[in-house]
Amino acid sequence: MEFKDKRVIVTGGTKGLGRAMALSFARQGAWVTLTYSSDDASASETKAELEGLAPKHLVLKADVSSKSQVEKMVETVLNHWEYVDILINNAGIIKDKMLLFLHEEDWDQVINVNLKGTYLCSRAVIKGMIARKYGRIINITSPSALTGRAGQANYSAAKGGIISFTKSLSKETARLGITVNAVCPGVISTSMTDGLSQEVKTELLNMIPMGRFGEPEDVAWAVLFLASQKAGYITGKVIAVDGGLI
Amino acid sequence: MEEIVNNFESLREFLKKMIVDILNLEDVTVQEIDNDSPLFREGLGLDSIDALELVVAIEKTFNIIIADEDVGKKAFASINALAGFIQEGHKQG
Repeated sequence: MEFKDKRVIVTGGTKGLGRAMALSFARQGAWVTLTYSSDDASASETKAELEGLAPKHLVLKADVSSKSQVEKMVETVLNHWEYVDILINNAGIIKDKMLLFLHEEDWDQVINVNLKGTYLCSRAVIKGMIARKYGRIINITSPSALTGRAGQANYSAAKGGIISFTKSLSKETARLGITVNAVCPGVISTSMTDGLSQEVKTELLNMIPMGRFGEPEDVAWAVLFLASQKAGYITGKVIAVDGGLI
Repeated sequence: MEEIVNNFESLREFLKKMIVDILNLEDVTVQEIDNDSPLFREGLGLDSIDALELVVAIEKTFNIIIADEDVGKKAFASINALAGFIQEGHKQG
């Protein structure tokens, strides 16, 4: 029960990776808040799963790109649980298009949810973490940030920005007991990869030295490690969980 | 707290103690902190990370928000400046 009574927020926590992280924290005794932006059905499904695992949990609807919604979400958590120990900035969207067809709204939405959302959520919890001299912030980035990918100029820029944000913030907070790290998942088995054609799957698998896609739990374990007290001397780092992809 | 805030001398002493305690200043005593010397850099030698802790502590203790760096620079100019800033904020609050 490494995370007994630790207060955790996982943004975008009702599906895929976020869900796996949230459930893993819950299994370890944490009090888990999940946020989601629109999918009420997935939210109720994950909430039902949490019922049995975490007596204390919150499932809150909030668009992480909206300052007022993020502040309200964090205020709700603080009203219930007084403070936040761990923030996982996981909420993200893609709108892949070649630059020629990448319209301003595609750019803005992806930057706003992925990058601005990470800033807004971090800013909303940082004051409490400074006051308590303890905190863990873990940001989810992507191989696209490190290597680039055609059709993902917006997403690569946002995820690259998240890495730079992680490094800068880690330097601001290192002395204050707050670590800030990033996790970079490779190709992970989710509903998104299930929908790929066999040809694309084979192509992707050929790029992964381990010859398999990762599981959401592979990523969750890395996140849980960085969020633990034992990882207190690690900050400003990007940990890839990608089967050797990069 | 009301009593401390309203008495400039008590407030200055309170702030000095708060700074030493919160920032764990092992080499500095409350008596050594000058009322007019800068708290940062050439004065007491505090830095921008120390400022984060002080901003949060002042908000928590006095319910006064230092929302931007310019306000912070003026407020943290010295102990006298900080005490004045808190008294002023307290009156407005």
